[in-house]
Amino acid sequence: MISDRIVYRSLFGAVAGAAVAFAVGCGSSYPAPTQPLADAEAADRSAQELGANNVPAAQLHLKLAQEQTTNARKLMKDGENKRAEAMLLRAKADAELALSLAKEQKAKGEVGQAAEKSNLQNQVIQGAGK
Amino acid sequence: MKTSIKLGLLSVISVSAFSMIACGTTAPPSELVDARAAYSRAAAGPAAQLDPADLHTAKESLDAAERQFADESDSQGTKDTSYIALRRSELAESRARVITADKQKAEIAAQAQANQAQALQTTSAQLAGAKQALSTQGQALQDEQQRRIDAEKRAAQAAADLAKIASVKQEARGMVITLSGAVLFETAKWTLIGTAQTKLNDVADALTKQDKDSSMVVEGYTDSQGALAMNNELSQKRADSVRTYLVSRGIASDRITAKGMGPASPIADNASPEGRANNRRVEIIVNPSGGRSNTGSTNSK
Repeated sequence: MISDRIVYRSLFGAVAGAAVAFAVGCGSSYPAPTQPLADAEAADRSAQELGANNVPAAQLHLKLAQEQTTNARKLMKDGENKRAEAMLLRAKADAELALSLAKEQKAKGEVGQAAEKSNLQNQVIQGAGK
Repeated sequence: MKTSIKLGLLSVISVSAFSMIACGTTAPPSELVDARAAYSRAAAGPAAQLDPADLHTAKESLDAAERQFADESDSQGTKDTSYIALRRSELAESRARVITADKQKAEIAAQAQANQAQALQTTSAQLAGAKQALSTQGQALQDEQQRRIDAEKRAAQAAADLAKIASVKQEARGMVITLSGAVLFETAKWTLIGTAQTKLNDVADALTKQDKDSSMVVEGYTDSQGALAMNNELSQKRADSVRTYLVSRGIASDRITAKGMGPASPIADNASPEGRANNRRVEIIVNPSGGRSNTGSTNSK
């Protein structure tokens, strides 16, 4: 009798453990990707602040990032948290690229300005030397 | 029982074969293809030098995608990871370009600063040069003024000295120093007598104090007695003697010339012995204005 109870108990434990494992694996209880969402949105804001909207190449990636974030929000509503997280990581990667492309445009513009200023200065110097 | 085992074995083999074929033939998703290409491009570009950290991140991202592709084939997860790997490579390239631009900007700024410093230095040097030139000019003017004052003093001193030892007159042709022939030579001879040398020493001293630019002419004169040719020759030889002696006393030879005038331009009556004695003479004509009259500065003072 005693040995039978032990067998039942262990059987019950195994079943319960399997149920928990199933629940986790299923995805219905996959944690909501709140941090990835915050990261993606922060990257998006930074890119906009640096004028990504005014640089065509940057604008493209900013748009991709925003679409993917919107998509991720929908997926989160539907409980597809794991899928949403992947989508947010993509969004963040796009937003970061948009930021760098905007910086690139700005830096190139500054090189042009510096060269122009230097040329003007040289003209002034040469003019003064004559 | 035997057949069912056989059937089961067969199905296992066929399934595993199918899965092997599937694994071997599954093409990588376009995201992974793009990610591979992007990484190759980035690794071959300036990012390798300028932004190795981001390039490394891109490589890790690509490796993760490759592993996922090996494990899960072209799953959505593989596609997502590949997509992120693609963006990481693009990001490394973009950041390398930002670094390049920043470097260029810094170089231009440094060059501009160097140019400015160079220009400043050049201008300073020019200014210093101009100052120096002005100062030199001023000094030269002062020196010239001083030289003129000194020359005038020397000339006055020389004239005063000469007046003590010989007859000195200012004429249109210059300052004329007249030495009596009797003081210098014996009759009909042209070698200087001892006392003449003492007297000529004084004249030479006075003349060396004169303006260095002045020129002198030693003119020998005779009275009208005797043959003209002989008188001319004698007067020339006497003038030469005086000239030679003065040169030996330090008058530059190119400043002084000698002329025999014979009985020309008598200063006294040749009819009387006294007049003839006066006519026998040596004149030294100093032309102190020779070098300086051109400046006109002597008259302005």
